[in-house]
Amino acid sequence: MRIHFATPPGPVSARALAAPSTEAEAWLARLDQNSFKAEPEEVLPILTDQGWRVLVGIGERSALDDSALRRIGGSLFAELAQAGIVHLAVGLDLSPEQTAQVAYGIFLRAWRTSPKYRKTPDEDEVWHLAEVTMLCDAPERARACFAGLEAVGKAVHFARDLVVAPGNVLTPPAFLEALGTIPGIEIEVIDPKKAGLNLLQAVGQGSVFKPALAVLRWQGAGKKDRPAVLVGKGITFDTGGIDIKPAKYMEMMKGDMGGGAAVAGALMALAARNAPVNVVGLVAIAENAVSGRASRPGDVVKSYGGLTVEIVDTDAEGRLVLADALAYAAKKFTPSKIIDLATLTGAVEIALGFERAGLFTTDDALAAQLFAAGEAEDEKLWRLPLTDLYDHAIKSDIADLKNCSWERGPDHIHAARFLQHFVPDDIPWAHLDIAGLSEAAEDGPLAAEGPTGFGVRLLDRVLT
Amino acid sequence: MKISFAKPASAPEGALVVTVLEGRQLGATGQALDAESGGTLARAMAKSRFEGKKDQTLLLHAPAGLKLDRLLLVGIGKGKSFDAKAAQALGGLVVAQLQGSGDADVTLAVDPVDGAALSVAEIAANAGFGAKLRSYRFDRYRTKEKAEEKPSLKKLVITAAEHGDAKKAYQPLEAVAEGVFLTRDLASEPANIIYPETLAEQCKALAETGVEVEVLGEKQMKKLGMGALLGVGQGSERESQLVVMRWNGGSEGEAPLAFIGKGVTFDTGGISIKPAASMEDMKWDMGGSAVVIGLMKTLALRKARVNVVGVVGLVENMPSGTAQRPGDVVTTMSGQTVEVINTDAEGRLVLADALWYTQDRFKPHFMIDLATLTGAIIIALGDQYAGLFSNDDKLSDKLIAAGQAVGEGVWRLPIDDAYDKQIKSEIADMMNVGGREGGSITAAMFLKRFVNGVKWAHLDIAGVTWSKKDGPVTPKGATAFGVRLLDRLVADNYEK
Repeated sequence: MRIHFATPPGPVSARALAAPSTEAEAWLARLDQNSFKAEPEEVLPILTDQGWRVLVGIGERSALDDSALRRIGGSLFAELAQAGIVHLAVGLDLSPEQTAQVAYGIFLRAWRTSPKYRKTPDEDEVWHLAEVTMLCDAPERARACFAGLEAVGKAVHFARDLVVAPGNVLTPPAFLEALGTIPGIEIEVIDPKKAGLNLLQAVGQGSVFKPALAVLRWQGAGKKDRPAVLVGKGITFDTGGIDIKPAKYMEMMKGDMGGGAAVAGALMALAARNAPVNVVGLVAIAENAVSGRASRPGDVVKSYGGLTVEIVDTDAEGRLVLADALAYAAKKFTPSKIIDLATLTGAVEIALGFERAGLFTTDDALAAQLFAAGEAEDEKLWRLPLTDLYDHAIKSDIADLKNCSWERGPDHIHAARFLQHFVPDDIPWAHLDIAGLSEAAEDGPLAAEGPTGFGVRLLDRVLT
Repeated sequence: MKISFAKPASAPEGALVVTVLEGRQLGATGQALDAESGGTLARAMAKSRFEGKKDQTLLLHAPAGLKLDRLLLVGIGKGKSFDAKAAQALGGLVVAQLQGSGDADVTLAVDPVDGAALSVAEIAANAGFGAKLRSYRFDRYRTKEKAEEKPSLKKLVITAAEHGDAKKAYQPLEAVAEGVFLTRDLASEPANIIYPETLAEQCKALAETGVEVEVLGEKQMKKLGMGALLGVGQGSERESQLVVMRWNGGSEGEAPLAFIGKGVTFDTGGISIKPAASMEDMKWDMGGSAVVIGLMKTLALRKARVNVVGVVGLVENMPSGTAQRPGDVVTTMSGQTVEVINTDAEGRLVLADALWYTQDRFKPHFMIDLATLTGAIIIALGDQYAGLFSNDDKLSDKLIAAGQAVGEGVWRLPIDDAYDKQIKSEIADMMNVGGREGGSITAAMFLKRFVNGVKWAHLDIAGVTWSKKDGPVTPKGATAFGVRLLDRLVADNYEK
């Protein structure tokens, strides 16, 4: 689908819907009030003798912030992609900047799983809509605004492509290969066995595929600028290991690299926008497989950071790979800050549901930045406790730490506290548990049911 | 256990407790004893790992050169961080260490603490408060306990130079302790003893302290249209009650502060019956109401200069032939209808009517409700914080500050409209459950529909009402979490 910008025939303001003689007014007059209330995100296509006409609700103009505009765009696409319309012109009497945001919403929503996983395309997934022309005054200005947004949008799509990829397709080496294709990003692959990333190695050792730590670099600022380091959990498939998961819905575990996908997407967006910042992305990649070589419950492993960890639950593996990646980040890159993202726990879904991701940090300023970015991008966060009050849960009888507690309780907090042990106190650090947000169980304004790319836009905003 | 205050003894005997700052720095009393004994204390410290760090203790029996039977050195850490909470913890620790020692009388010598912001009187009063709180024991059903299994400690004398001031400072704290003890008693009582009518009787007993008490039975509630509350109780033989308690310590006509408590005296889950394991814990599903009752007692005892109304909805949730069924639709007092998907999400049904009634009748300045409401909050925050949900940022900040001050932490959680879709019903205005995910949030979203725009905060205390282990000033069992928090909220912000 292509998105263009053009000037409408006649100035936009002259075509505003206010004039009672316009066609739109005529349609409104014929409609039952309950069938179209002109509330934001309402879309009503009408087939007329002259072709399709679409009524779009935008609510109060004064309430049209970027978020509202994007959602209107997203709804437009969702409602019209399969309505039989091939070429859509959108003239909502908005400024070029606002028009670009609507286009951004359309772009974000216009993603679907690659047809490569089917022999014949699914009829239900075919889009009729092929071309969208956004009408506004100064279309070149809107186009310029949109270019930056589209760069981020493409990165969101990239992250979704990664998340939706099956575990036999996006294996650890395939994940590395995909990361190697990001334009403008250098990639270095660290062998955990050689580097002493023993927790990452322990998680991946049951798989036929070797685990890896991918180091992605974007150098947009001066060499002396300390980089922000992003760390993503990249479990390409999580069986749970020897503590194997129940069969039901286990296929969802192909998405257990959502944090890694968000990090990759963020790097892609920053590079595409040529952002003047230095960022290192670390993706801890492993397949948590069951086999004769897999780690056992009770195994004790010496982490890269030096602390020993008793693996009481092989299915609490995300925190293990992150722990090594965090310690590596702190040691190798003198980071200005570290932000990690992971589809880490089921408990965070009980705590916050599907509307907000868990935010853990002891740095109030970083918390405020991330929270604000989340509100602005509709990738919302909520801060949760991170204190030593919870440490008893990860105290091991044999090693420095155990990776989780079997007691019923706040596993997401325990996990965050576990990770904190691997980050030096003087580095601002935040952990985002995105388990409830990386994939959506139902259609939303900017993403259909399925992978959301959660985190890409948030990180892109917070780092620039 | 009796707490008293006295001037420092010139020649202490029996069992004595002295404090030590980090770095083995003895307080004045300790220094005097050390001098008198020719260095016994210093020698004992030097020969042990005791450094005076917070919560470290060193017990000396019949210390050489002194007339004492027992001397307990208690570490209080760094003077700078020795605040009221730390002083309370000190008192609690003394009780924990010595209540089974065989001593009936113990003296705690309070000296000025270098670097602390507290006066000696404040330290003494708070230590007494902590000791009192920690000494709580629910033993009325133990009929054959041997003497050596019972605590020996009967009396704690706290000596301090400003003992008169200490006694004065202790009085309001003692009122808080009385409220806390009432709350703990009520939550600890089994459900065959405490049920809606007997719990209402307990409320009536507050009349002695000057609280006005009014009890509404099922007939009256039916008249008011409280279909949600009554629906929960309809499976039980016991009659549901709604109790209104009023303390008018403020000026006449001033809008009251309102506290509303969930009082499910036993929660079987109803037809959506709970699994058997640990179901006995459900006797304390009236923990929210117990806090409101204890709080009313505290405020009345210390003659708080504020108008307060406490409302508790008391029901027993039982399965029976008359119990409500999953799928039943009930009409609340507000007129909104609820589809009862799960009869075990009953607390919100009780609160819905209690909240609506409270704002409708009393036009309160704010409403704060407390409830052991959801299992999800135990996952969300564990046993360290209660969940705080509010439509008012300032009230939230005040609650968070009060919680920090007393050591009853509350953590704010979101109530975005986005969560509303989870409780959308196919048949009624809403459902009473919204699924596992965000379970505490959707419960709060449900309650929000019954506050009618009034300033409101909801405390989900399911994770903090009962403790499996001893805390500094809370023995394991019923914690009365909320009494100290809300007393502090009122004292710091709403009394003239």
